[in-house]
Order: sequence, then C-alpha cells, then structure tokens
Amino acid sequence: MSLSPGILLITIFLPMAAGLLCLLVPDRVRWGRESIAVATTLAVFVIAILIFIAPELRFQTGEIGLGIRYLDLYSYSFSSFLLMFSSLFGLLISLFSIRYMQGRGRLREYYFYLLLTLGATNGAFLSDNLILFLAFWGIVMVTLFLLTTIGSRDASPERVFDAGHKSLMIIGGADMALLLGIGLLWYLSGTFTMSAITPQSGGMATAAFVLIMLGAISKAGAMPLHSWIPNMAEAAPTSVMAFLPGSLDKLLGIYLLSRMVLNFYEFSPGCPMSLLLMIIGAVTIIAAVMMAMVQHDMRKLLSFHAVSQAGYMVLGIGTGTPIGVAGGIFHMLNNSIFKSGLFLSGGSVEHGTGENDLGKLGGLAKAMPITFIACLICALSISGVPPFNGFFSKWMVYQGILEAGASQFWIFLIAAMFGSALTLASFVKLIHSTFLGQKPRELEGVKESGISMTIPLIVLAALCVVFGVFAQLPITQFIAPVVGPVTVSGVWSPTLATVLLLVALAIGLIIYFIGKIRVTREVPMYIGGETLDPVETSVPGTRFYDTIRFMGVFSGLYRRGEEAVFDIYSYGKYVLPVTRVLSVLHNGRLTTYVSWCLWGLIILFLILVGVG
Amino acid sequence: MLPLLFVVIPLGAALVIFLLSRVWERAGDLFANLATLSLFVISLTLVGPILRGDTFAYNLGATSPLGIHFTIDGLSLLMLITINLLCFMSSLYSVNYMERYTAKPRYYILLMLMIMGMNVVVLGADLVNLYIGVEIAAIACYALIAFGVEHEYLEASFKYQIMGTVATLCILLGIALIYRTAGTLNIVELYDAVAAAGGMGNPILVFSSVLFLGGFGLKAAYIPFHAWLPDAHSTAPTPVSAILSGVFIKVVGLYCMIKVFFSIIGLTPAFSMVLMVLGAISIIVAVLLALAQWDSKRLLAYSSIEQMGFILLGIGIGTPLGILGALFHLINHATFKSLLFLDAGSVETATGTRDLKELGGLNQRMPVTGVTTAIASFSISGFPPFNGFWSKLIIIIALVQAIGIGYPGFAPAYITFAVIALVGSILTMAVFLKLERHIFFGSLPEKLAKVREVPWLMCAPMIILAAVCIGVGIAFPWVIGNLLDPAVGVLSVFGLGG
Repeated sequence: MSLSPGILLITIFLPMAAGLLCLLVPDRVRWGRESIAVATTLAVFVIAILIFIAPELRFQTGEIGLGIRYLDLYSYSFSSFLLMFSSLFGLLISLFSIRYMQGRGRLREYYFYLLLTLGATNGAFLSDNLILFLAFWGIVMVTLFLLTTIGSRDASPERVFDAGHKSLMIIGGADMALLLGIGLLWYLSGTFTMSAITPQSGGMATAAFVLIMLGAISKAGAMPLHSWIPNMAEAAPTSVMAFLPGSLDKLLGIYLLSRMVLNFYEFSPGCPMSLLLMIIGAVTIIAAVMMAMVQHDMRKLLSFHAVSQAGYMVLGIGTGTPIGVAGGIFHMLNNSIFKSGLFLSGGSVEHGTGENDLGKLGGLAKAMPITFIACLICALSISGVPPFNGFFSKWMVYQGILEAGASQFWIFLIAAMFGSALTLASFVKLIHSTFLGQKPRELEGVKESGISMTIPLIVLAALCVVFGVFAQLPITQFIAPVVGPVTVSGVWSPTLATVLLLVALAIGLIIYFIGKIRVTREVPMYIGGETLDPVETSVPGTRFYDTIRFMGVFSGLYRRGEEAVFDIYSYGKYVLPVTRVLSVLHNGRLTTYVSWCLWGLIILFLILVGVG
Repeated sequence: MLPLLFVVIPLGAALVIFLLSRVWERAGDLFANLATLSLFVISLTLVGPILRGDTFAYNLGATSPLGIHFTIDGLSLLMLITINLLCFMSSLYSVNYMERYTAKPRYYILLMLMIMGMNVVVLGADLVNLYIGVEIAAIACYALIAFGVEHEYLEASFKYQIMGTVATLCILLGIALIYRTAGTLNIVELYDAVAAAGGMGNPILVFSSVLFLGGFGLKAAYIPFHAWLPDAHSTAPTPVSAILSGVFIKVVGLYCMIKVFFSIIGLTPAFSMVLMVLGAISIIVAVLLALAQWDSKRLLAYSSIEQMGFILLGIGIGTPLGILGALFHLINHATFKSLLFLDAGSVETATGTRDLKELGGLNQRMPVTGVTTAIASFSISGFPPFNGFWSKLIIIIALVQAIGIGYPGFAPAYITFAVIALVGSILTMAVFLKLERHIFFGSLPEKLAKVREVPWLMCAPMIILAAVCIGVGIAFPWVIGNLLDPAVGVLSVFGLGG
C-alpha cells in the first residue's frame, strides 16, 4: 500500500482543527469535547502507525526564500516512530482526562490546548526545516504554559501562574539560545533543511552545539534548566504532567539532542562536547534523585524523577557510541512510557482520594488494585529492575559508557548505577506510603478509578513489560534504523532472563506461602495494658530517608537546594536592582531629559566626525 | 490624484465633523470612522498595482522645494496600510471610550488632523513636505495628549512640546543645511546631489546627519532621546496612545530617519554601526525600565521604546534581510502594541485603575480583553505562531547572515547584537508575564468582583487586531511577498550591497 505524502498533514492539522472545534462545542453537549478528543487522537494514532509502516514520505510546499519552505515535512525512521508514540500518548491522556478532568473549569480550553500540543509536537517531529521545527517547538512551549494555568485542584491561582511563569521563562530563554544556535548552524551549513545538513566542526559549530543543546535540555528537563518541572508538578493537573514533562517534552528534547549528535555536529566519543553532555547527565541523575528521595508530595517526587531520568538519556547520548546513543533514545522511549504511567497512577490516586500528600495516603493496594499493579510495574521499570524495559535501556547506557573509551569514565558508570539504586529506594518509599502500610480512616471507601482511567494505566504497564521482555523488538524496529545496528554485549537475553525470573518468583512465592501456613498468626497489638489501633501505629513512608537528609554532607546541599541556589530561575531577581537604578535616573525633570538629548547629540557628532 | 485622497479625506472629515457636530452630537462617531475606514480600504486596493510595479505621483504647484509633491511606492504603501488600519481601529474604539471626556467632536477633529499629518509624511516626496507632515501630526498630538486638561495631562503634553520643539529645531536646521549644500530638497534628486557635494566627506553634511539622528531620534524616542514618551503615551486618551505607540513614533521618527539615511545619504559603515548601537541600547535599557513599572500604560510605553530598538537594529544591519525584518517588526509592533494599549484602556474603563497592584484575576470577568491581551503578549514576546516571532526571527537570522555578507570587521558586533536582542527578548517575556500575572491571572480582588466586559464596540477592534496578530503569524509568507518585498525593494538599493 502506498500513502500519499499529504497524509503527514493530517497528523498535524487534524488535532489542531479538532482542538478549535472543542473550543466551539457548547457546555451543554455532554461528553462532546471528550469524544472529539478521543476520536481524533485515535484517528491520528492509527494514521501514525500507517506512516510508520510506510516507506519515507516527504511533503513540501514552494520555497519562500533563504531555502525556507512554508511546510517541509519528512517522515523517516526516527520521526515516524516518535510520531507514533506521541500520538499514542495523546490518545491515552485524552482517555484518562475524561474522568480525571471532569467537573473542572476551563475544560474547553483544556482540550483545545491538549490537541494543539499534539498537533504541534507531531509537526516538530515531521518538520525537515529548522525554522518550521522551531515554530512547532515554540507552540508546544506556549501550550505547556497555557495547560499549566488551568491549574491543579489544590493550588492557588498565584502559585499556578508562577509555575507557568517559571516554565515559560526557562524554556523560552533556552529557546532564544536555540534560535541563535540554529542561525549559526545555518550560517555554517548553508541550509535550513535538516536532512541536508552535514556534520559541522570548529569553534562556531561548537557554539551552535552548546546553544542548541541548551534548548534541548530545557525541554527534556536536564540540569541546570530543570527547575520548572518540580514547580509545575504541584500546580498543573497531573494529566498535563504526564503528557508534557512526562512524555512529549522528553521526546522532543531528546529528539533534538540526538539529531544534533547524530547529524549536525562532528561528535565522537571522548570529544569535549561529549564530556560536557556526560557530566550534565551524571550530575542530573544523582542530584535530582537525591531531591526526589526527600519529597512529601507524590507529584513532586515523580517530577524529580522526570529530571533524573533525563540525565540517563543525556548521559547515554553524550557517550557518542552507537550503543550509548541507542540506549539514550531507547531510554527516552521507555521513560515516556513509565513516567507517564507513574504520573497517571498518581492522578488516579488523587482522583480516588483527593490527596497528594504521601503522609496522608497508605494501604490503597486492595482498594485500587489496578492502579497499584500498574504503578508497581512502572516503578520497577524506572528503577531499572529486570525484566522491565527500564533495565534494558539503562544497561545499554552503561555499556555505552564503557565503550566510550577513557578509563576515567567509570565515574559516570558509578553515578548512573548509584542513581538507579537511589531511584529504587525512593520508589520503595512511594509505593509503601501510597499502597502499602495502614490505610488512614479518611480513605475508607476509596474505590478503583473507572475504566477510562485504568485502560491507559494498563496499556502503559503492559508496554513496560513487553519492551522489557521482548526488548529486541523496539530496538530492531525503532532504534536500529536511526543509529545503525546495535549489538548488546554480554549474555543478556531478555526473554530467557524473564523466564528464569518468573521461575524464581514462583519458587519464592511457594516458599513464602509454605512458611506463612506454619508460623504467622495475627493478634491485636497489646502494649502496656492497652489495645492499640493499627492505624495509629502505622509506619509512614515519608520519613524513610530523613537520615540522609540530615547527614552532615548532604544537609547543607539540601538546604541550598531548598533555597533555590541551584535554580537558574531564581537568579532573575538580580535584575531588579538594575531596573531600580534606571527608574531613579528618570526623575521627571524636563531639564534632565533635555540635557540627555544634548549629550546624545554631542556624542553622536563626535563619533561621526571622528569616523569620517 | 490618488495620493491626494489620503490628505483630502481626513481633512474633509475634520471639516464635516466641525460643521455638523453643532447640530448632531454623533456626527464625529460616524464621519471619523467612515473616513478612516475608507482610507484603509483605499490603501488596500493599491496593493495590486504596487506589486505590478506601478507608482503613483501627484504634483501641485512649482518644482521642489516649493510645490506639493506626493508619491506612493512600496514603502509608503506599507506605511499607509499600517497607519490607516490602526487609525480605523482607534476611531472605532473611541466611540465608547471617549464618552468620558467632554468635547468629543474636537477630539475627532484633532485625530483627523493627526492622521492627515502622518499620511503626508509617508507620501511626501520632498523634505519640506515631510517636515510639514511631521509638524501637523506633532501639533495635533500635543493637543490630544493634553486632552484630559488635568495637571498630569498638561505636564506630559508640556514635556513633549518642549522636547518636540528641540526635535523640530534639529530637523529644520538639518534640512536647511542640506538645501544649502545640495541645492535641492527632492528626495529622489537628493541622493545624487548629496553624493556630488562630497557625501560624508563634507563636514556640513555630517553635521546635518547628526541633527537628523537627534531630531528624528527624539520623535522616534530611542534612548537617550526617549524621556518624553512614557509620560505622553501613558497619559494620552487610550485610542491616541494606541496610535502614538503603534504608528506615530514610527512614521514621524523612524520612517523619516530611514528615508534620510537610506534614500538621501546612503548607508555607510559608520551609520550602520551607530544605528545598531542605538538600537541595542534602547532594547536593553528600555526593557529593564519596563520591568520596573507598575502602571500598565507606562509599562507598555517603555516596551515601545524597546521594540523601536529592535526595528532600529534591523534597519542598521542594512542588508535586504535586515530591512525586511525591521519593516516586518514595524508593522507587527504596530498591531500588537496598539492592541495592548486598547486592552489596557479596557481594563481601565472597567476597573477605573491602571495600577497593576490593585488588579488581578480579570480573566474570569473580562474574557475578550483577557484573551486578546494574551495573544498580544505572546506576539510581543516572540512566541510562535504569532507575528512577532517571525519578525524577531528574521532580525536574528539577518544578524547571523551579516557575519558573512555585512561590513568587514563587524562580525563580532553582529554576534554581540544578536545576543543582546535575544536577552532583550527574554526580558520582554518577563515584562509581559508580569502584566498578565497582575491583571488577568492571580486571584480576583474583592472590589473587582462585579467588573464587566467593555461594550462590544470596544471589543471589536481588539478582536480584529488579535486576529491580525494570528493571521499575519500564520500567513507570513503572503505578507512578506505582497506587502514587505516591494517596500524592502525601495530601500535595499541604498542599503548594504545595494
């Protein structure tokens, strides 16, 4: 079957048009917007699959000068596989939003922005022109801001806006760097057409690399441009967190970074830029996971993991070795799956209980079994526990570091592995304090979320399992066409390993149950002549890692972290004194103003006479 | 005869309003809007002929410098369309807005005179006509700024009058010196005459060019000649503020300067650098000043100075792409900045205050104003797909391109200016997020709980301008091809590499 290239337009403009339609649907039409959103994203997902199966497609309109075309869309292995996943996430999030967002204000806008985001993201993946790419990329930033302003249930309007403000300033500022970087890249290569750019080298190319990298990591959320994500987590609806910082922004940022490394810059293992990326990656992994461990708010904890995982991607791509880059890209894909799964589980818990504070949750495993299992699978995936997908992509990143050559790179390896361990530790905390332990009395009667919310969770958890157990499948289908054939060393066969693990688990369970029959008995707690209520003696998970928090070395770092010393945004306040000085100079006196004019004239005259 | 319509219609309307308003109160509303609408429509009908390469000329009386000489080319048409679109929007907005002042007919008469003055400036084919246009517009403007006749209005107007007089002095002296040296004031003939008189080798011409830089600089309000603008633009009645910031400073300031430095003296490396430096200083200093403001219209006024800096920077590059970016930014800024002023005026109408500290959460109460302000703020911050994105992008790309094709030795400067422009853009974002945060987002103060959206006649121009911001952003190739390319063609022959 051959497709007409015009089909590429549908993936961009159908969601946008449907979004506009959502704006027009009156409130009294029940489920009108929701059905439009689900139907559209489903259609786009199906079309994206068709595009992925089809050979390369290119859609162009006429040139408008400087080699820029109004539309220049190109689907090839990389862009079409990303297109497929962005559309899948669009579908799952719209499905999830039906119940999750029900009854909130500004729903009309919510679906409009959601669909606009999807269309623009697809546009960014498909554009083969840097300017067009930049435009779509920027639209995603604007919709991110607008979606944030819709706000979560528990945040004040000021807090919501400030979170949006921060994300817009950081991403927008980085976009300015990206713009200049694109300009320099164009100057060097002489073309805006991405598929025609050859790898560049030299000083200006390095400057362009750094500038474009800033744009990419601000979107992906790696340090030092990460700080908008944790703030946004508390202020934005959780479905938005799952959709943008959780999945689409990661796909976009890492896509740009990989294109840069693979196609635009002479990037080799061990080059200074490679080292830079690896340092950014390693620092991001460790620092963000340390912050994640001590969070009380479920969404904030997840958001620091969103930052930390971006570190793995940057680290993997930064190695510059085929396996490392493949690992980075695979981890990007896996992360989008399990991270949106985790955010959505969080959303499901919030929907069921109305609570995000880990200290007030607990014992929900029985009441919300599907959410619990999905969350558990995603948590194990993100921690890199075999046989789930996160393990496999992290493994590839480790191997990439080893193959990158220099012997001192072991430090990155240690950072990455240590980060994994800490991730697991913090998810033990999350799982314990949400789903295990004692259930607080306020949460009696909590029920599992409806089917429209559990289906996305099931799909995402299933993907975690499938991409882990049959890891060859995504690697050969999605990654290898982009970076070339990938050989994973070591005798790790995911399928075999899974079988062995399952056998081990089964044996473990048998032993456990045999043991339970013999020894365990449950009795009321009886201390000092009083029967204690199990609820009152429960062990909350929120304080699991306070030891680390107050340990000598870390306490100072944590304190600075809370004072936002590591937050680039907080340095904005130093602009204010300058503005005050300038304001004072404008004293409102006419004589001052006229004298400025005269001085201006005199200086201009001296300069021009001097030059002439 | 066609160019004459742009002068006769507003003048005629002024006369009719003057005569009829004694018997019919609303004559001004009707005739002012009719006049501006017809001017806008006429200017649009000229797009086709200009694209085909026609020019329109009208001569009355003796040869230059005595008679009246008008021409319409690509550049003047671009300006005419911008001027008359915005004036139409403002006069539409005035119908309800100006109810708060007495003597509405007088307001319309002054407005018509100001429009006529601006039209004369862009039509004028010799320096005297240009100067006369500048003066008519300026005098009407002094009166309009003082229209509220309370002390802050009078103070702002007084300041502008003093500084405007300094500007007039400079311009008139400059023109006189040019006439003495070159022997003509016809703009077409001047280029050769100035070159024959020694160009920039002639100290008198250097002196007169400095006078033009200062004189038109005062009108265009770039730093350090800007100090009158924040007062004047924030106190004037809102529709007038919209015209002042949107087109007035561009027409009587920048347009004239472009004419002088491109079509008469011709761009030299020294002027290119001076223009770019002035632009860069204006960008950074004015955006920082804007950040410190708590009065919505003052904030917008400082932001206008900053945006003038962008235009100046683009013009200063002198390459066709730079000029394209600058002219594109000029028309874009005209649309979103007048929209922002109209929005600020609506907020003031509805709430009675411009103080950001007393406002908040108005998105719930004033949806049209809220959405249109958001669109304008996104445009001015340079977010895609709005129009401001493309013009800023073109200016940056032009700076990068100039590393290769610009004046030799300027490469580090081009990079520096690009960085300055980008830092300025980031700060612009901060300025407009501040505006959004304190007016439309956040929580609604108790006393504003009953605020209502402004009447539809005030909403209509805001909606139209917002639609233009989006439309131009999406259809930018069409705008560049049909409106901007002919205008760039007029200038780029005198620019770098022309």
